[in-house]
Amino acid sequence: MTELNQTDLQTLVTGNKRAWDRFVTAAAPLINAVVRRTMSSYRLGEDDVLDAAQDVFVRLCAGDFRLLKTYDPARAGLSTWLAVVARSAAVDHLRRRRQATEPLDDVPESALGVEDKHVEKLQIPQGLLTERQTLILKCLYDEERDVSEVAVLLKIDAQTVRSTHHKALLRLRAHFGEEPP
Amino acid sequence: MSTERVSRTDKELWRSIAPERGVAPEAVSDIDFAAWLEGRLPEAAAARIEAAVGADPALRRAALDLADILGKPLPAAPARLAVRAQALVGFDAERETGRSGGWFGRLFASGPLFALQRAAMIAMVVVVAGAGFVMGGGLGDSFAQQRYGSDVQGASSTTTTTTSSELSDFFVSDGI
Repeated sequence: MTELNQTDLQTLVTGNKRAWDRFVTAAAPLINAVVRRTMSSYRLGEDDVLDAAQDVFVRLCAGDFRLLKTYDPARAGLSTWLAVVARSAAVDHLRRRRQATEPLDDVPESALGVEDKHVEKLQIPQGLLTERQTLILKCLYDEERDVSEVAVLLKIDAQTVRSTHHKALLRLRAHFGEEPP
Repeated sequence: MSTERVSRTDKELWRSIAPERGVAPEAVSDIDFAAWLEGRLPEAAAARIEAAVGADPALRRAALDLADILGKPLPAAPARLAVRAQALVGFDAERETGRSGGWFGRLFASGPLFALQRAAMIAMVVVVAGAGFVMGGGLGDSFAQQRYGSDVQGASSTTTTTTSSELSDFFVSDGI
Protein backbone atom coordinates (compact mmCIF):
# COMPACT_ATOMS: atom_id res chain seq x y z
CA MET A 1 0.00 0.00 0.00
CA THR A 2 2.90 2.35 0.78
CA GLU A 3 4.40 1.65 -2.64
CA LEU A 4 1.05 2.45 -4.25
CA ASN A 5 0.75 5.76 -2.43
CA GLN A 6 4.23 6.73 -3.70
CA THR A 7 3.21 6.35 -7.36
CA ASP A 8 4.58 9.07 -9.64
CA LEU A 9 1.24 10.15 -11.08
CA GLN A 10 2.67 12.79 -13.40
CA THR A 11 4.75 10.17 -15.24
CA LEU A 12 1.95 7.62 -15.09
CA VAL A 13 -0.61 9.80 -16.88
CA THR A 14 1.83 10.49 -19.76
CA GLY A 15 1.38 6.84 -20.77
CA ASN A 16 4.88 5.76 -19.74
CA LYS A 17 4.94 1.96 -20.03
CA ARG A 18 7.34 1.37 -17.13
CA ALA A 19 5.36 3.66 -14.80
CA TRP A 20 2.15 1.83 -15.75
CA ASP A 21 3.73 -1.60 -15.13
CA ARG A 22 4.96 -0.49 -11.69
CA PHE A 23 1.54 0.96 -10.89
CA VAL A 24 -0.24 -2.26 -11.93
CA THR A 25 2.12 -4.36 -9.78
CA ALA A 26 1.45 -2.13 -6.76
CA ALA A 27 -2.32 -1.75 -7.30
CA ALA A 28 -3.21 -5.33 -8.32
CA PRO A 29 -3.46 -6.78 -4.75
CA LEU A 30 -5.80 -3.99 -3.60
CA ILE A 31 -8.00 -4.08 -6.70
CA ASN A 32 -8.10 -7.88 -6.55
CA ALA A 33 -9.16 -7.81 -2.87
CA VAL A 34 -11.87 -5.17 -3.38
CA VAL A 35 -13.34 -6.82 -6.48
CA ARG A 36 -13.36 -10.25 -4.79
CA ARG A 37 -15.10 -8.89 -1.67
CA THR A 38 -17.69 -7.01 -3.76
CA MET A 39 -18.49 -10.12 -5.81
CA SER A 40 -18.18 -12.60 -2.94
CA SER A 41 -21.92 -12.99 -2.36
CA TYR A 42 -22.45 -13.93 -6.00
CA ARG A 43 -21.48 -17.39 -7.13
CA LEU A 44 -19.11 -16.30 -9.86
CA GLY A 45 -16.07 -18.00 -11.35
CA GLU A 46 -12.45 -16.89 -11.24
CA ASP A 47 -12.69 -15.57 -14.82
CA ASP A 48 -15.53 -13.23 -13.82
CA VAL A 49 -13.48 -11.82 -10.95
CA LEU A 50 -10.45 -11.29 -13.21
CA ASP A 51 -12.63 -9.65 -15.87
CA ALA A 52 -14.07 -7.25 -13.29
CA ALA A 53 -10.56 -6.42 -12.03
CA GLN A 54 -9.44 -5.85 -15.62
CA ASP A 55 -12.41 -3.46 -16.02
CA VAL A 56 -10.97 -1.35 -13.19
CA PHE A 57 -7.62 -0.99 -14.98
CA VAL A 58 -9.40 -0.29 -18.29
CA ARG A 59 -11.36 2.51 -16.60
CA LEU A 60 -8.18 3.99 -15.16
CA CYS A 61 -6.31 4.24 -18.46
CA ALA A 62 -9.26 4.85 -20.83
CA GLY A 63 -9.49 8.16 -22.67
CA ASP A 64 -5.85 9.05 -22.12
CA PHE A 65 -6.01 8.29 -18.35
CA ARG A 66 -9.01 10.60 -17.91
CA LEU A 67 -10.16 8.96 -14.64
CA LEU A 68 -6.68 8.87 -13.10
CA LYS A 69 -6.28 12.56 -13.94
CA THR A 70 -9.36 13.36 -11.81
CA TYR A 71 -7.68 11.96 -8.68
CA ASP A 72 -6.61 14.70 -6.23
CA PRO A 73 -3.80 13.58 -3.87
CA ALA A 74 -4.54 16.53 -1.56
CA ARG A 75 -7.96 15.11 -0.71
CA ALA A 76 -7.43 11.36 -0.25
CA GLY A 77 -4.75 8.68 -0.46
CA LEU A 78 -4.39 6.89 -3.80
CA SER A 79 -5.05 3.47 -2.25
CA THR A 80 -8.35 4.58 -0.66
CA TRP A 81 -9.51 6.31 -3.85
CA LEU A 82 -8.55 3.26 -5.93
CA ALA A 83 -10.47 1.00 -3.55
CA VAL A 84 -13.60 3.17 -4.01
CA VAL A 85 -13.16 3.18 -7.82
CA ALA A 86 -12.62 -0.61 -7.84
CA ARG A 87 -15.78 -1.17 -5.80
CA SER A 88 -17.86 1.01 -8.19
CA ALA A 89 -16.42 -0.79 -11.22
CA ALA A 90 -17.15 -4.21 -9.71
CA VAL A 91 -20.76 -3.19 -8.92
CA ASP A 92 -21.18 -1.95 -12.52
CA HIS A 93 -19.69 -5.20 -13.81
CA LEU A 94 -22.19 -7.20 -11.75
CA ARG A 95 -25.06 -5.02 -12.96
CA ARG A 96 -24.09 -5.52 -16.61
CA ARG A 97 -23.71 -9.24 -16.08
CA ARG A 98 -27.11 -9.48 -14.39
CA GLN A 99 -28.72 -7.51 -17.19
CA ALA A 100 -27.35 -9.97 -19.75
CA THR A 101 -28.65 -13.24 -18.30
CA GLU A 102 -28.42 -14.64 -14.82
CA PRO A 103 -30.17 -17.59 -13.19
CA LEU A 104 -32.21 -16.59 -10.14
CA ASP A 105 -30.15 -18.97 -7.97
CA ASP A 106 -27.01 -16.90 -8.59
CA VAL A 107 -28.52 -13.73 -7.09
CA PRO A 108 -28.00 -13.48 -3.30
CA GLU A 109 -31.12 -13.29 -1.17
CA SER A 110 -30.17 -9.83 0.13
CA ALA A 111 -30.45 -8.49 -3.43
CA LEU A 112 -33.89 -10.01 -3.88
CA GLY A 113 -35.23 -9.19 -0.43
CA VAL A 114 -38.20 -6.86 -0.19
CA GLU A 115 -38.95 -4.94 3.00
CA ASP A 116 -42.36 -5.67 4.55
CA LYS A 117 -44.14 -2.33 4.22
CA HIS A 118 -47.27 -3.48 6.03
CA VAL A 119 -45.73 -3.48 9.50
CA GLU A 120 -46.58 -0.27 11.37
CA LYS A 121 -43.37 1.40 12.45
CA LEU A 122 -42.57 4.36 14.66
CA GLN A 123 -41.04 7.35 12.88
CA ILE A 124 -37.84 9.03 14.09
CA PRO A 125 -38.40 12.77 14.01
CA GLN A 126 -35.81 14.70 12.04
CA GLY A 127 -33.02 16.06 14.24
CA LEU A 128 -33.60 13.62 17.11
CA LEU A 129 -30.39 11.75 16.30
CA THR A 130 -27.23 13.09 14.74
CA GLU A 131 -26.06 11.63 11.40
CA ARG A 132 -23.30 9.79 13.23
CA GLN A 133 -25.67 8.30 15.80
CA THR A 134 -28.00 7.09 13.04
CA LEU A 135 -25.09 5.61 11.10
CA ILE A 136 -23.77 3.77 14.16
CA LEU A 137 -27.20 2.30 14.94
CA LYS A 138 -27.66 1.21 11.32
CA CYS A 139 -24.23 -0.41 11.20
CA LEU A 140 -24.83 -2.24 14.50
CA TYR A 141 -28.43 -3.34 13.94
CA ASP A 142 -29.18 -3.28 10.19
CA GLU A 143 -25.77 -4.51 9.06
CA GLU A 144 -25.18 -6.55 12.26
CA ARG A 145 -21.54 -5.46 12.49
CA ASP A 146 -19.34 -5.55 15.59
CA VAL A 147 -18.51 -2.43 17.57
CA SER A 148 -14.86 -2.87 16.50
CA GLU A 149 -15.81 -2.85 12.78
CA VAL A 150 -17.77 0.38 13.20
CA ALA A 151 -14.83 1.87 15.11
CA VAL A 152 -12.50 1.02 12.19
CA LEU A 153 -14.95 2.58 9.73
CA LEU A 154 -15.33 5.84 11.64
CA LYS A 155 -11.66 6.04 12.75
CA ILE A 156 -12.70 6.28 16.40
CA ASP A 157 -12.12 3.94 19.33
CA ALA A 158 -14.59 1.23 20.28
CA GLN A 159 -15.49 3.00 23.53
CA THR A 160 -16.62 6.09 21.59
CA VAL A 161 -18.85 3.86 19.42
CA ARG A 162 -20.38 2.32 22.58
CA SER A 163 -21.03 5.70 24.24
CA THR A 164 -22.51 7.20 21.00
CA HIS A 165 -24.76 4.15 20.68
CA HIS A 166 -25.80 4.45 24.32
CA LYS A 167 -26.66 8.16 24.02
CA ALA A 168 -28.64 7.55 20.82
CA LEU A 169 -30.74 4.84 22.48
CA LEU A 170 -31.39 7.02 25.52
CA ARG A 171 -32.75 9.72 23.20
CA LEU A 172 -34.92 7.24 21.31
CA ARG A 173 -36.30 5.72 24.54
CA ALA A 174 -36.97 9.17 25.97
CA HIS A 175 -38.77 10.24 22.80
CA PHE A 176 -40.93 7.10 22.51
CA GLY A 177 -41.52 6.87 26.27
CA GLU A 178 -39.80 3.54 26.71
CA GLU A 179 -38.04 2.41 29.85
CA PRO A 180 -34.40 1.34 29.57
CA PRO A 181 -33.97 -2.47 29.80
CA MET B 1 -11.91 -8.94 16.12
CA SER B 2 -14.43 -8.49 18.90
CA THR B 3 -17.54 -10.66 18.90
CA GLU B 4 -19.34 -8.33 21.28
CA ARG B 5 -23.01 -7.77 20.39
CA VAL B 6 -25.35 -5.16 21.79
CA SER B 7 -28.33 -6.24 23.88
CA ARG B 8 -31.38 -7.68 22.12
CA THR B 9 -33.87 -5.23 23.58
CA ASP B 10 -31.99 -2.31 22.00
CA LYS B 11 -32.12 -4.15 18.74
CA GLU B 12 -35.85 -4.77 19.08
CA LEU B 13 -36.44 -1.08 19.72
CA TRP B 14 -34.43 -0.14 16.63
CA ARG B 15 -36.26 -2.68 14.47
CA SER B 16 -39.59 -1.19 15.52
CA ILE B 17 -38.49 2.20 14.23
CA ALA B 18 -38.73 3.06 10.55
CA PRO B 19 -35.99 4.99 8.81
CA GLU B 20 -36.67 8.69 8.34
CA ARG B 21 -39.11 9.34 5.52
CA GLY B 22 -38.36 11.53 2.52
CA VAL B 23 -34.60 11.32 2.91
CA ALA B 24 -33.21 10.32 -0.47
CA PRO B 25 -29.59 9.17 -0.43
CA GLU B 26 -27.37 12.00 -1.61
CA ALA B 27 -24.92 11.26 -4.41
CA VAL B 28 -21.37 11.03 -3.09
CA SER B 29 -18.35 11.41 -5.36
CA ASP B 30 -15.57 8.82 -5.23
CA ILE B 31 -13.02 11.33 -3.95
CA ASP B 32 -15.38 12.63 -1.20
CA PHE B 33 -16.15 9.07 -0.14
CA ALA B 34 -12.43 8.23 -0.06
CA ALA B 35 -11.66 11.37 1.95
CA TRP B 36 -14.41 10.47 4.43
CA LEU B 37 -13.09 6.89 4.74
CA GLU B 38 -9.71 8.35 5.66
CA GLY B 39 -11.26 10.72 8.19
CA ARG B 40 -9.91 13.75 6.33
CA LEU B 41 -13.15 15.73 6.02
CA PRO B 42 -14.16 18.58 8.32
CA GLU B 43 -17.15 17.90 10.61
CA ALA B 44 -19.83 19.48 8.39
CA ALA B 45 -18.66 17.70 5.23
CA ALA B 46 -18.30 14.41 7.15
CA ALA B 47 -21.88 14.74 8.47
CA ARG B 48 -23.16 15.09 4.90
CA ILE B 49 -21.38 11.87 3.86
CA GLU B 50 -22.52 10.10 7.06
CA ALA B 51 -26.13 11.03 6.24
CA ALA B 52 -25.73 9.58 2.74
CA VAL B 53 -24.03 6.42 4.04
CA GLY B 54 -26.74 6.04 6.70
CA ALA B 55 -29.52 6.41 4.12
CA ASP B 56 -28.09 4.06 1.46
CA PRO B 57 -27.56 0.41 2.52
CA ALA B 58 -25.32 -0.28 -0.51
CA LEU B 59 -23.06 2.65 0.32
CA ARG B 60 -22.98 1.55 3.97
CA ARG B 61 -21.90 -1.97 3.03
CA ALA B 62 -19.30 -0.51 0.69
CA ALA B 63 -17.94 1.69 3.49
CA LEU B 64 -17.71 -1.20 5.97
CA ASP B 65 -16.08 -3.53 3.41
CA LEU B 66 -13.55 -0.95 2.22
CA ALA B 67 -12.61 0.09 5.76
CA ASP B 68 -11.99 -3.58 6.56
CA ILE B 69 -9.91 -4.24 3.40
CA LEU B 70 -7.82 -1.09 3.78
CA GLY B 71 -6.99 -1.93 7.38
CA LYS B 72 -5.54 -5.38 6.69
CA PRO B 73 -2.54 -6.81 4.84
CA LEU B 74 -3.57 -7.76 1.31
CA PRO B 75 -3.11 -11.19 -0.27
CA ALA B 76 -1.13 -11.33 -3.53
CA ALA B 77 -3.13 -10.95 -6.73
CA PRO B 78 -3.10 -13.71 -9.38
CA ALA B 79 -0.20 -13.20 -11.82
CA ARG B 80 -2.66 -13.30 -14.75
CA LEU B 81 -4.39 -10.17 -13.46
CA ALA B 82 -1.20 -8.09 -13.53
CA VAL B 83 -0.10 -9.44 -16.93
CA ARG B 84 -3.43 -8.57 -18.55
CA ALA B 85 -3.53 -5.12 -16.96
CA GLN B 86 0.06 -4.32 -17.95
CA ALA B 87 -0.78 -5.15 -21.57
CA LEU B 88 -3.34 -2.33 -21.60
CA VAL B 89 -0.62 0.29 -22.01
CA GLY B 90 1.70 -0.61 -24.89
CA PHE B 91 4.99 0.67 -26.22
CA ASP B 92 3.41 3.06 -28.73
CA ALA B 93 2.80 5.74 -26.14
CA GLU B 94 6.40 5.57 -24.96
CA ARG B 95 7.66 5.77 -28.54
CA GLU B 96 5.62 8.95 -29.00
CA THR B 97 7.31 10.60 -26.02
CA GLY B 98 10.82 9.68 -27.29
CA ARG B 99 10.26 11.29 -30.69
CA SER B 100 11.15 14.81 -29.63
CA GLY B 101 14.96 14.32 -29.70
CA GLY B 102 15.36 13.74 -33.46
CA TRP B 103 17.13 10.77 -35.04
CA PHE B 104 20.12 10.78 -32.68
CA GLY B 105 17.84 11.38 -29.71
CA ARG B 106 15.82 8.29 -30.60
CA LEU B 107 19.02 6.31 -31.32
CA PHE B 108 20.41 6.95 -27.86
CA ALA B 109 17.08 7.18 -26.02
CA SER B 110 17.05 3.44 -25.37
CA GLY B 111 20.64 3.24 -24.11
CA PRO B 112 24.15 2.87 -25.60
CA LEU B 113 23.75 -0.87 -26.21
CA PHE B 114 20.81 -0.17 -28.53
CA ALA B 115 22.87 2.48 -30.36
CA LEU B 116 25.79 0.02 -30.72
CA GLN B 117 23.48 -2.58 -32.21
CA ARG B 118 22.14 -0.03 -34.69
CA ALA B 119 25.72 1.03 -35.63
CA ALA B 120 26.77 -2.60 -36.17
CA MET B 121 23.74 -3.16 -38.39
CA ILE B 122 24.56 -0.06 -40.47
CA ALA B 123 28.23 -1.17 -40.84
CA MET B 124 27.08 -4.61 -41.94
CA VAL B 125 24.76 -3.10 -44.55
CA VAL B 126 27.61 -0.92 -45.92
CA VAL B 127 29.98 -3.96 -46.17
CA VAL B 128 27.36 -6.10 -47.90
CA ALA B 129 26.46 -3.29 -50.31
CA GLY B 130 30.17 -2.64 -51.09
CA ALA B 131 30.89 -6.33 -51.65
CA GLY B 132 27.86 -6.54 -53.90
CA PHE B 133 29.03 -3.55 -55.95
CA VAL B 134 32.51 -5.02 -56.45
CA MET B 135 31.16 -8.42 -57.33
CA GLY B 136 28.64 -6.84 -59.64
CA GLY B 137 31.45 -4.95 -61.49
CA GLY B 138 33.55 -8.14 -61.95
CA LEU B 139 30.63 -10.00 -63.31
CA GLY B 140 29.95 -7.10 -65.65
CA ASP B 141 33.47 -7.39 -67.17
CA SER B 142 33.24 -11.10 -67.67
CA PHE B 143 29.78 -10.71 -69.15
CA ALA B 144 31.04 -8.06 -71.53
CA GLN B 145 33.91 -10.35 -72.59
CA GLN B 146 31.54 -13.22 -73.16
CA ARG B 147 29.07 -11.07 -75.06
CA TYR B 148 31.42 -8.94 -77.17
CA GLY B 149 34.82 -10.80 -77.05
CA SER B 150 34.29 -12.94 -80.28
CA ASP B 151 33.23 -9.90 -82.34
CA VAL B 152 36.38 -7.99 -81.29
CA GLN B 153 38.62 -10.92 -82.33
CA GLY B 154 36.74 -11.26 -85.61
CA ALA B 155 37.04 -7.54 -86.28
CA SER B 156 40.85 -7.52 -85.67
CA SER B 157 41.53 -10.54 -88.01
CA THR B 158 39.50 -8.96 -90.81
CA THR B 159 41.54 -5.77 -90.53
CA THR B 160 44.86 -7.73 -90.77
CA THR B 161 43.70 -9.65 -93.86
CA THR B 162 42.55 -6.48 -95.59
CA THR B 163 45.86 -4.73 -94.86
CA SER B 164 47.97 -7.64 -96.19
CA SER B 165 46.01 -7.91 -99.45
CA GLU B 166 46.37 -4.13 -100.00
CA LEU B 167 50.16 -4.41 -99.55
CA SER B 168 50.31 -7.36 -102.02
CA ASP B 169 48.32 -5.37 -104.56
CA PHE B 170 50.76 -2.39 -104.14
CA PHE B 171 53.82 -4.57 -104.68
CA VAL B 172 52.22 -6.37 -107.67
CA SER B 173 51.27 -3.07 -109.31
CA ASP B 174 54.87 -1.86 -109.02
CA GLY B 175 56.20 -5.09 -110.57
CA ILE B 176 58.06 -6.18 -107.50
